[in-house]
Amino acid sequence: MIGRNGKNPQAEGRIPLPQASREDGLGPDPAIVVAEGICKSYPSIRALSPLSFNILPGEKVALVGPSGSGKTTLLYLLAGILQPDEGVLSIDGRPMTSVRPGRELSQLVGLVHQQYDLVPHLSVLHNVLAGRLGQWGLLRSVISLVWPRDRQMAEEALAQMGIGDKVNERTSHLSGGELQRVAIARLMMQSSRIILADEPVSSLDPARAEGLLGLLTDLVRGSDGNDGKTLIASMHSPYLIRKYFSRVIGLREGVLQFDMPSSEMTDEVSDRLYDLEQPEPALWGVGN
Amino acid sequence: MRVLESRRLLTLILFAAFAWSLSGVDWLGPMVHTGGPQSLLRFIQALFPPELSPAFLKLTLAASFQTLAYSVAAITVAVLVAVPMGLLASGVAARSARTGLPAAVAARFLLGAIRSVHELVWAVLFVYALGLSSATAILALALPYAGILGRIYADLLNDVPEEPLRALRASGASPFQVFLFGRLPMAFPDMLSYSFYRFECAIRSAAILGFVGIPGLGYQIQLSLHDILFDQVWTLLVALVFLVVAVDLWSTRVRRDLVS
Repeated sequence: MIGRNGKNPQAEGRIPLPQASREDGLGPDPAIVVAEGICKSYPSIRALSPLSFNILPGEKVALVGPSGSGKTTLLYLLAGILQPDEGVLSIDGRPMTSVRPGRELSQLVGLVHQQYDLVPHLSVLHNVLAGRLGQWGLLRSVISLVWPRDRQMAEEALAQMGIGDKVNERTSHLSGGELQRVAIARLMMQSSRIILADEPVSSLDPARAEGLLGLLTDLVRGSDGNDGKTLIASMHSPYLIRKYFSRVIGLREGVLQFDMPSSEMTDEVSDRLYDLEQPEPALWGVGN
Repeated sequence: MRVLESRRLLTLILFAAFAWSLSGVDWLGPMVHTGGPQSLLRFIQALFPPELSPAFLKLTLAASFQTLAYSVAAITVAVLVAVPMGLLASGVAARSARTGLPAAVAARFLLGAIRSVHELVWAVLFVYALGLSSATAILALALPYAGILGRIYADLLNDVPEEPLRALRASGASPFQVFLFGRLPMAFPDMLSYSFYRFECAIRSAAILGFVGIPGLGYQIQLSLHDILFDQVWTLLVALVFLVVAVDLWSTRVRRDLVS
């Protein structure tokens, strides 16, 4: 069973969890994500075999694994877009099944998609403000289409992303790099406790990838002494994982391969995880 | 592959049928009636110049204004009806409610019914019911146009990309908020564009209503045709072209302003 100390006995000894003890001696922080034997199958394929893990507040977790390994499925389970077939997934001490979609869910988890998924016809301001929709009532959202509420908050978020001058620009006129920043600004407005990112850098060149991860990790770190947020992102590059994440979870065909500090994510570990020829290592040795 | 082959075979057969049908045409016989060429010539000659007397120009102006007024009123009514009907027909208005699907089916049926009757037929019906009044002209145009616009609005609202909507839902937006901040802004430019195009069509249709006796450019064209005054017909036709081109220019401008 999962104890209050937030450790997963199944992986005990294998997962060097970050030292999360409070200095006040009240014991470690309770985990913000607790997965107990969650699994998910699609009609023709088992996407996730029973999987258990804990994630502590403030952790930056990278999910790695080849295509079809279950990373996206896991992110969607965490985002509440999918429900596990079996097992219990709790966030902030509450089973996901008891979290109401809409406002409640949006304050717990926010998801950045690969393509940012902004509305191209709206202004940048409105796209950023869309992150507030969970907090807004009906009337306020109608009024905001014409006279935007929380404008200052959105402007600050955009300024923090370095694109404060684009507030009134039409979103379709922005470059790829700017779109990312708008998407993250929207996530800032949502101010969820957990930030999920589905392959956030897969379509970016190396410099932009680092820029985006820098922004995301800044956002997670939190400002003025807040204890910050938690980041969970699907990634591929061992270098970026070592540089920007604190922990890495490896998946292959829906099965947990490893769960360790990101500093141990060497290129060799990665190669082994992604190795297509893994089942038949002898094939290449013979002949010639 | 078999589908492709049989499709090609069908194309071949249809071409052969068309070629064979040409052999049935009596090419040397009277395709055009005997007085045809002369009449055509007279009609073309009447353009140089068209009727430009101040009195007739004044009449043309009044008729143009009447046609324009009818089409503006009709397209306004059509849009007002089409927006709620299109919303219902798209099924996005009441996705969560159990009534959503039956409402969508009913709305689609109603829209289909009113647009399957041509405006000229509606006009004849309304002339019987209401006489040759402005209401007849406006209703006869507004009904089929509402049917067309409502159907197009529904399709445009349904066809927006799903990903941004999903992102909005994930950030806690309610179905109505998703509509307001996602579906509507994405569909709006196309909805506006199509409404303008329909406005152009409404001007033409308003003119055509003259053939059942409703005043306007079409009515004047018909009167002049009766008296074989082709120079007058030309003046009226040019006025009609001016109206349509003016609306086209206006809509281009509005669309450009909307995009930038």
